[in-house]
Amino acid sequence: MTIEVLDPSYGDETREFSLAGRPASLADATVGFVSNGKQGTGRFFDALERELIDSFGIGSVVREVKTNYSAPADPEIMDRAKEWNALVSGIGD
Amino acid sequence: MADTSTLSSRRISLDDPLSVQEYFHSRGWTDGLPVVPPTPDAVAACLDWVGLPADHLVGVEPVRGRALTAEKVAINAVMAGCLPMHVPVVITAVTAMLAEEFLLHGTTASTGGSAVLLIVNGPIRNEIGMDATFNALGPSDRASTCIGRAVRLVLGNLLEVRPGEIDRSTFGHPGKISWCLAEDEENSPWESLATERLGDPHVSAVTAMAAMAPRQVMNEWTTEPEQILDTFVAEMRANMRHYSIWPGNYAIVLPPQLRQHFQAATWSKSDIQHYVFEKARIHRREWADCGKRAVVGEKGDQEYAALPDPEHLIIVAAGGPAGGFGAVIPPWLGHKSRAATVAVGACTDC
Repeated sequence: MTIEVLDPSYGDETREFSLAGRPASLADATVGFVSNGKQGTGRFFDALERELIDSFGIGSVVREVKTNYSAPADPEIMDRAKEWNALVSGIGD
Repeated sequence: MADTSTLSSRRISLDDPLSVQEYFHSRGWTDGLPVVPPTPDAVAACLDWVGLPADHLVGVEPVRGRALTAEKVAINAVMAGCLPMHVPVVITAVTAMLAEEFLLHGTTASTGGSAVLLIVNGPIRNEIGMDATFNALGPSDRASTCIGRAVRLVLGNLLEVRPGEIDRSTFGHPGKISWCLAEDEENSPWESLATERLGDPHVSAVTAMAAMAPRQVMNEWTTEPEQILDTFVAEMRANMRHYSIWPGNYAIVLPPQLRQHFQAATWSKSDIQHYVFEKARIHRREWADCGKRAVVGEKGDQEYAALPDPEHLIIVAAGGPAGGFGAVIPPWLGHKSRAATVAVGACTDC
């Protein structure tokens, strides 16, 4: 005597994500930082910017801050991100 | 017997109901409590009752693009202990949570740890045996407990809102196990919450709110509406000082003993909302009194209101017949999420 039950999970429909493409080099690259807007992101991104300039020779950093730290990045930010060579998205608390 | 042939979820054969418990626990599919085995017959009976095909799209979670079907919601409702007649409320609750203004992902992922508070209005409350009186904010009746739990299982199993996965709550609170209450419309001097928000006096509806833990207050020593509300306002101001200063949907729950004083004084819901809107305010400098001097900055004299406007105060008539208590239920984090009300049976994207 067995009992048959149904799988309650989202299961096999889970969408598969792939990693974003990696740039071959960061030299002279434009790197975007997208912050969730919380105070804790500031010092981290300051340090990261110094590190990327000193160690990897990036060209410039563009900083963006989401208007709602609990929601996805604003469409305008994602549009601007298309111009960048790399993007770092950070969650600070 | 309802038709089970249209169910598309994977079928799992196990030895017995106890095996189901351990199998489901081991996969993180429960909240730690035992679940009712979601057999195809039980799930099909729920879909039959609610009159929806298994593949009916209840909605799409807007951030992750997850499509939630009636079948999957029904499976989780059965697990929570729901009877088929409870499922229309569960479906409606999920629909409300998927409304853009509710910001489901943010509210469920946040370290802030809010719960989903469901408030049920209309004839369906009585049809399914919800009790809006004794222990209103606790496990008051079967329907309320199971419906609230079903929503939590939906979040866990369909959106991975589990502790340490999507749910990053530092603490959370007990409302995250199950939190659903009916409004005591029959004994209220006011129009129901759903009527206030949807404009239909006959509607059955569910309001979902991203809510922090309830704070119980007491004032049995006056019949003056202003003094009673000053007690509620004091708790709201305390929340603004100790937790979050940002305005949003606060809910207050008023029991019969206090409601009678408002009725005697002919105070409407709108009167209450406007009084609280004017009084529930603090200056940022008050943060210095409770250890938050570092974030007062240059804005010490700036005044902050608990409510963006009077209508953001959600007034719920509920509670047992005796006791001059009340409850203040603060929002998750100000205006980032707004309460959403959806009529039972409504299709929001048809």
